[in-house]
Amino acid sequence: MKLTVDERWDLIEKISKETVIFGVYKHTVKDAIGELTVKPLTGIPIAFAVLYGFWSFFGSFAGFFTDGFFVKLFDEHWLPWLQDVFPGGLGNWFYAIMVDAGHMENGILVASDNCFESFGVLTSGFFLAIGVVLPAIIAFYLILTLLEDTGYMPRLAVLIDTVLHKIGLHGFAIVPTILSLGCNVPAVTASRILETKKQRFIMMTLLAIFIPCGAQLGIMEEVIPDTIGFVLLYLFTGYFILGFILHKVLPGKSPEILIDVPPYQMPMLRDVAMKLWMRVKGFFKIAIPFVLLGCIIVNILYLANIIDWLANVLSPVLSGWFGVPKETVGPLIAAFLRKDLAVAQLSAIEMTKYQMITSVVLVSIYFPCVATFMMLLKEGWKDLLGSIAVLALVVFLYGGLLHLIWILLGVA
Amino acid sequence: MKVLLMGHPNVGKSVVFNRLTGANVIISNYPGTTVDYTKGYMKVKGKDFTVIDVPGTFSLEAKDKAEEVAVKMLEEEKDAVVICVVDSSKIERGLYLTLEIIERGYPVILALNMWDIAQDKSIHIDAEKLENILGIPVIPTIAINGKGIKDLVSKIKDATPVETDKILEKVGGKE
Repeated sequence: MKLTVDERWDLIEKISKETVIFGVYKHTVKDAIGELTVKPLTGIPIAFAVLYGFWSFFGSFAGFFTDGFFVKLFDEHWLPWLQDVFPGGLGNWFYAIMVDAGHMENGILVASDNCFESFGVLTSGFFLAIGVVLPAIIAFYLILTLLEDTGYMPRLAVLIDTVLHKIGLHGFAIVPTILSLGCNVPAVTASRILETKKQRFIMMTLLAIFIPCGAQLGIMEEVIPDTIGFVLLYLFTGYFILGFILHKVLPGKSPEILIDVPPYQMPMLRDVAMKLWMRVKGFFKIAIPFVLLGCIIVNILYLANIIDWLANVLSPVLSGWFGVPKETVGPLIAAFLRKDLAVAQLSAIEMTKYQMITSVVLVSIYFPCVATFMMLLKEGWKDLLGSIAVLALVVFLYGGLLHLIWILLGVA
Repeated sequence: MKVLLMGHPNVGKSVVFNRLTGANVIISNYPGTTVDYTKGYMKVKGKDFTVIDVPGTFSLEAKDKAEEVAVKMLEEEKDAVVICVVDSSKIERGLYLTLEIIERGYPVILALNMWDIAQDKSIHIDAEKLENILGIPVIPTIAINGKGIKDLVSKIKDATPVETDKILEKVGGKE
């Protein structure tokens, strides 16, 4: 027999009257902390402190291992050793793909002296994946896991709710957004917790366009440490502007949320370790093959002169509209596969600080990497097509806007 | 035989799942961590069970895509035993979903999870009496440290479908 909603609640009341005793509730320290972190007056400063702490830890942890250890290991030992022992030598095509393509200086092909420039599978491929991205990803997921397991995330969701309503989402959208800063792939799946089609479309489009992943952030910390703040600010501003526009333009509902804020918990070491391990492993299953494959493909395209050809064809758009060197076409192709790879490649191209900012922004907002693309496709091809249409427009306008800003500032 | 783990978001279904199957699915302290189902396996006295960790849902009327996955899962697995995991400190709304599933004719076991948190909040539940009224196995558990999980496993075979009338009778019938 099926009951109506009222009958069911009625029955529950009777059952609970006979089986449950609700005692007097004592206010505990846990509750006090809970309230401090969720009430706006104290909660917002705490949230800023927590996020700033997150960012500092990310930067210093990753920097400590990358600069302090891996850069030296790869540039001073691994690269010279391979250049020494790998058969072929400079100019050989296989050597170029695997170890070092070299670069032209006054018409002479010279060997690279660091793993950002060499761009071989065994050199840059391994250096980027293990030396730069691995520490960044571990640092990111360690903090994220702690925030998740203590129960801080839903509190953050409550605090940011009002802001996210302005872009058609609600507080809980902070979960996919923060996950996306680690990797866009799980973030796309996490968007399912949003109730309406409209919300999911907005969320996935914003993630795909504006949120750089942890691997990319790690590389950015390495190659543009001075301007990364500006790049992120520009991207996050774009997230809100586009969200606001989509919210106004798209039909559909953006409902309120009722959210359970769970009590704070001490994270269990075993669970944290397990989750960190699974996430890092999951990430690398996606990342490593594409980083290595990306190195191979980009090298082949260079060797076959396809990139040079494309650079000349697209030169009016790249240098005319966006104001970046036409050589950025190489990284833009790599960005289809991996954004971290693309940013690393940018660092080897000669350009001004401002062109570099534009290029990094372009790599970030232009087309999701192939893994994210497949995830979006899994969630529905119609939405994906819509997202890509929005994306194309955003790249053109928002990327072009940056060029305009540089022109107005007189630094283009 | 199939066992579905169902319940509200953030009551610890995935923790129970990890305990039952020895698998490792991602768990967090916020609602909505599991948005897709995960399958795992366990053996009880030589019998093989497939355990499915279902995304959290407040009721059987889905409100988002993750809840749709949950409801669809239940409808597809007609012969499954359902372990209903509830947050003991919020038992009443947990019972709502439990009743909905019982009404649909599934054999249900009730896991009163987060038993420790309920006690911290001085909420006392008479599990035996509840078992008696509902006519299904009711087991207090603290999944995060494994308490009650063995009991839960041993009771799977005792689960049988219950008529809603019987439950109504036990508390004095319909008004």
